[in-house]
Amino acid sequence: MLLLLAALPVLFWDAAPDTAPALQDAGIAHIQVPRERLAAWKSVSGITAQAVDPASALKLLAPTVNYRMQEATATAAPWVINNGWRFLRRPGGHYYYDVTGNQAALAAAEAFAYGADAMIHTDAAGLKPLAQMLSFLGAIAGESLPPVADIGYIDDGSAQSGEVMNLLIRDNLLFKLVPSADRGLKVNVKIGTRDYPLADAKNPGLLAHDVRYHLTDERRSVRIYGSPVVVARLTGSGGHLRLHLLNYAAANRKVDGIRVRVLGQYPKHQLWLADGAGVELLDYSVDSEATEFTLPDLPIYAVVDLSR
Amino acid sequence: MPGPYPGQVVRVHSENSIDSATAQVNRPLVKQMIAHGLTELTGDARVEDAWARFISPNDVVGIKLNCSGAPNIRSSPEIVAAIAEYLVAVGVPAKHIYGYERFDNQLQSVGYPKYLPEGVNLYAAEATRSSILGYDPKVYVETDFFGEDDTRSNCIRLVTETLTKIVNVPVMKEHQAAGVTGCLKNVAYGDFSNVNRSHSFEKTNTLTFIGTLANVEPVRSRVVLNIMDGLRGVWHAGPFSEMPQFRFYPKQIMVGTDPVAMDHLLIDVIEAKRKAEGAVSLWDRSMAHVGRDNSDPNINHFIREPGHIEYAGKLGLGVYDSARIRLKVIEL
Repeated sequence: MLLLLAALPVLFWDAAPDTAPALQDAGIAHIQVPRERLAAWKSVSGITAQAVDPASALKLLAPTVNYRMQEATATAAPWVINNGWRFLRRPGGHYYYDVTGNQAALAAAEAFAYGADAMIHTDAAGLKPLAQMLSFLGAIAGESLPPVADIGYIDDGSAQSGEVMNLLIRDNLLFKLVPSADRGLKVNVKIGTRDYPLADAKNPGLLAHDVRYHLTDERRSVRIYGSPVVVARLTGSGGHLRLHLLNYAAANRKVDGIRVRVLGQYPKHQLWLADGAGVELLDYSVDSEATEFTLPDLPIYAVVDLSR
Repeated sequence: MPGPYPGQVVRVHSENSIDSATAQVNRPLVKQMIAHGLTELTGDARVEDAWARFISPNDVVGIKLNCSGAPNIRSSPEIVAAIAEYLVAVGVPAKHIYGYERFDNQLQSVGYPKYLPEGVNLYAAEATRSSILGYDPKVYVETDFFGEDDTRSNCIRLVTETLTKIVNVPVMKEHQAAGVTGCLKNVAYGDFSNVNRSHSFEKTNTLTFIGTLANVEPVRSRVVLNIMDGLRGVWHAGPFSEMPQFRFYPKQIMVGTDPVAMDHLLIDVIEAKRKAEGAVSLWDRSMAHVGRDNSDPNINHFIREPGHIEYAGKLGLGVYDSARIRLKVIEL
């Protein structure tokens, strides 16, 4: 099975080298710069620079949550703005974030969780959070494992199909793109078929519900209880899983506890939590069907390694 | 529940229990009202003997407060204090008494500590709103109402792991979704997480969810006594009390072990008040009366479900049939 090397996101910095002290103070040691600035940055000691063309990268949305408190909406669920589906649609692509403050750390974590090649442009307030996250990611990086999916999704490349993928990610319905139905997966989804009619896809939320209905909650590889703003990504094979947990509300508040259910028996665990020293998984239980635990604190990003 | 006195309810009314002009509560009189209610219910001459039927010195006792309309309306501190004093009198150490609620901000807004015996604990399951950490991950009801992703409602861990008995202190209130919020709802939606999802839309799932939660062990067996605070009440736009025109003063306390019988009588109290005010019945199901502006007493956010009480009766939680409810009324 192909194992990909996890890529680390990089700060894209378009300011002149006289800003180097701010980067060094934050703990940034490697940056990407516009080609025309490369020569100047090469003379700065302690920071390595690489030339890139951000125009060649796909610009992403700033990962966040839009609560829409004062707006009439079809759902009371907070709107999670994530880029996971874009990464899955274009594996191997180059991506560009333009984010501020704490969002820089979340952007880095999001890209890392999906193994995406991303550059992150941020402001002065984002430098330290980004540097801390990059340091954390560097410590846990290694061979990335293949994604775990319950659903095979046949993407027709349309905007409508993209929005369905977006909602599947938000609802923690784990999928991977397949060219045709994969009988090794629990459910296969193609818009325009009897189970997933085109009419339903006009309301992508409804189609995501259809997918969940056909999959059933009991067969979902991951369930998250206690927060509507946490997105999970699961990778692994054999007796080892790596669970990525992203708090999309991180710029404003940490999540005070989620209960996680992972299908299968995994008696051993290791928690890696960005910005959360001393936190341990609580009420860890393994039954005949699933492994459950409580993560009491999720500031931005956590990784849980599970094994037999 | 329904405990040793199914279908039996004692109502103690006193015109002097609260001053409806100032909302000042007559604390000694309220304590007497509780004593009369309990001795009438049990047939004991001494109130301590009546309490001893429900609580032993070895118990760890929770007083289930209702602070959902706090600070304007909540389990009256004078009633809660009297209960705590009686518990201490029957030998329960103050440190083994917990006044508890789900939301810390609501609980803190009341100011219970200055009323309670020293050493009595106050506990909120959610120190920060929506935190799951105060709930037991092993005790939950799992159901999917409308496709929500979080399908579990977990019981407060204090209830499952610490308390051995619960004294339930609901308040006489109309509830926009459930019809009324009395004994059943205070131990159901007041002891479990993630319950708002049952009333996300005009047509709610409160009819079955309230009784289902109240029926969960250990809640069902640990609630040994209900003391309903009817000094103040809310007859519209409950459970909150943001519009003072919908507050009223029934000036009574109901005592019993049967939450269904008591809540059936609560329907009668709220329904009578609404009728007197010219408001539509709690049982009205017309969509013409559903709307956003509930400053009009004939407009409500939801279709109410007072039938949740009869449903709970069918689960065995108490007696709903009016012909089998024995109400004793005491006037002080």
